[in-house]
Amino acid sequence: MAKLADIENEFIRQEIEEYIERPDERGHLIALYSKISPEMQTLAAGVIDGQHEAVDAGTQAALEDGVEALQIMDDGLIAGMAIVGIKFRENFIFVPEVLSCARAMKAGMKHIEPILSASGIEPVGKIIMGTVKGDMHDIGKNLCIMMLRGSGFEVIDLGVDTSPDDFIDAVEEHQANIVGMSALLTTTMPNMGRTIEAFIDADLRDDVKFMVGGAPVTPEFAEDMDADSYGDNAVECVEVAKRMIEEFEAEQA
Amino acid sequence: MVQKAEPVKPMNGRQRVLAALRGDPVDRTPVCNPTSVATVELMDLVGAHFPEANRDAEKMFRLAATGYTELGFDTIMPVFSIIQESSALGCNIQWESKDNWPTARMNEPIWAEPDDIKVPADLLTHPDTKCVLDAIAKLKKEYGEDVAIVGKTMGPWTLGYHCFGVEPFLLMSLDDPDKMKRCLERMKEITILFGLAQIEAGADALTLPDHATGDLVSGDYYATFLQEMHTEFVDEIPCPLILHICGRTVDRMDYIAQTGMAAFHFDSKNTPVESVEVVKERISLIGNINNPETLYAKNPDAVRQEVLNNLEAGVPLVGPECAVPLQTPIENLKEITRTVCDWHKEQSVV
Repeated sequence: MAKLADIENEFIRQEIEEYIERPDERGHLIALYSKISPEMQTLAAGVIDGQHEAVDAGTQAALEDGVEALQIMDDGLIAGMAIVGIKFRENFIFVPEVLSCARAMKAGMKHIEPILSASGIEPVGKIIMGTVKGDMHDIGKNLCIMMLRGSGFEVIDLGVDTSPDDFIDAVEEHQANIVGMSALLTTTMPNMGRTIEAFIDADLRDDVKFMVGGAPVTPEFAEDMDADSYGDNAVECVEVAKRMIEEFEAEQA
Repeated sequence: MVQKAEPVKPMNGRQRVLAALRGDPVDRTPVCNPTSVATVELMDLVGAHFPEANRDAEKMFRLAATGYTELGFDTIMPVFSIIQESSALGCNIQWESKDNWPTARMNEPIWAEPDDIKVPADLLTHPDTKCVLDAIAKLKKEYGEDVAIVGKTMGPWTLGYHCFGVEPFLLMSLDDPDKMKRCLERMKEITILFGLAQIEAGADALTLPDHATGDLVSGDYYATFLQEMHTEFVDEIPCPLILHICGRTVDRMDYIAQTGMAAFHFDSKNTPVESVEVVKERISLIGNINNPETLYAKNPDAVRQEVLNNLEAGVPLVGPECAVPLQTPIENLKEITRTVCDWHKEQSVV
C-alpha cells in the first residue's frame, strides 16, 4: 500500500496531510500521486497553488519533452483539481482561490485540448450547462463547470439567461445527454421545470438526464420538477455527472 | 437568552424599530424586512408591478407601503432590488418582468481598474436613484410618524460584483489585494452619497447590503477588506445602519459585531441560537425566516415555528432572511407579525 512518503513533491505531501481528512480520499490521493512522475506532481502543485504562468510553461515544457497530452491532463491538471475540489468542499478555500486554480488549469488545457481533440480522444462525458431563463447569476454554474472540466468532462457553457430552446438546440447540436441547470433566484428556479417540460414537448426527455442546483434549489424542488438529480455544490455536481455517465453505460450494456 | 416583553409603554412601529436598533427596551419585538417584501400578490393588490415599481416613484411608494398596510410590518422598505445605483453608474440592467427581479448583467463589466471608477454627476438625479429618493420622501410624509422608513445603499463589495463582474472582482482580491482595496475605497463614496441622500429624503435607517458571503469568500476576507470600511460607514452615515449579507456568515459575525453598525440582517443558513451567541448584545440581529423552503413553499404553521425559534433565541428584530420570493403567499408573511404579537401576549401572561 502506498504511503504519503512515497510522494516526491513536498508541497503535495503537505497539502494531503493538512487538508485531506477523509481516510478514503486520503488513501485514494496517496495511491494516485505515488504513481505520478515528479514532473507531473510539480504541474499538479502549480494547479493547487493557482500558479497559472507556471502551469502554462510547465505544460508546454512537458509536451516538448514528449509527455503524452492525455497523461499531462490526467496526472498533472486533473490530479491537481482533485485536491482543489476537496479543499473547496471542506471550506479550506473559497471561490477566489478556486477561480485562481481553475485559471491555472485552463492555462495548461489550452495546450492540451487541441492535441486531444485532433487525436480523437473522447472526454469523460459531454455536458450542456446554463443558468436558466431570467437569471443573470453565473458564479455557481461557472464553479461547477470548472470542477467538471477539472475532472475531464467536456462542457458546453450556454452562459446566463438560457431559454429552454437554447438548451434543446445545444443538446441537438452537440449530441450531449446531460444537461446542468443553475438558478440563484426563487423567481427563476421554476424555469428549470419549464425547460424539462420543453424537452418533453420536443420528445427528447428520454435522451437526456438533468442535474440542477443553485442556492434556493432543494432536492425536493428538483424532484418536483422531474429533474434526475440535484447537486448541493460544485464538487457534488461532478459526482452526480459521473454517476449519470455510469447509468448511461449500464443502460447501454 | 430569551427576550421578555419589557415593561415599556406601547410603541408605534417606528419607535419600536428605532429602539430595537439602539438596543433599547421595546414593547414587543419589531417585525421588519430590511431587504424587500414585494410580492406579486401585493403588486396586484395596489396595481404597482415590476418592473415599473422599481423605476417609478409613485408605484414604488404604493408597493412599499403594503409592507405596513397589508402585512403589519414595523418597517417600510421601498428598494426592492440591489441595482438602483448600479443602473445610475452605467451597468447594463435586465429589468425583467412582473414575476422576476431586475439584475445587473454582471458578465458585461463596466470597470476593470481603480481609475475607471467614476462617480457620475447624476448619481442622485439619475431616474433609477431619484425614484428611490422621491419614494422615501413620499413614504415619510404619509407614514413617517407611525412606521420606520428604511432606505438601502449598496456597499462597495456588492457594487464591485456589478461593475467589475463577479469573477474578475474576486480574482483581483488574490492577484492584487492593494488594488482591490483602492477599488473599494473609491466605491465607498457611492455608498455614502446615496445613503446621505436617502437620510435627507426621510429614511430613518439604512440597509447596507455588502455580499461578502460565506458562499463566496472566507471570514478573513471580511476582516481584511471590509471590517474597517464598514466601521467608517458608521461615522460617515449618521443613521442606524443595517448590514445585510446572505448565506453562511457566522464565521464573520464577530467582526461584524465590532463595526458599530446598529444591526446585522442574517440568513437562515445560520441558526438564531449560534448567531446570538456570537454577537451577544454588540449588534442587533434581524432575521432569519427561511425564504425558499418556508415562506415561499410552506404554510403559516411552518412560518410560526421559525418565528418562535428566533424569538426564543433572543433575536431582537424578526423578519424574512432576505428579499422574499415574489410568489410568497401573503398569509405566510402576515403570520410573522401574528406570531410575534401572540408570543408577546403569552409572555406577558406568564
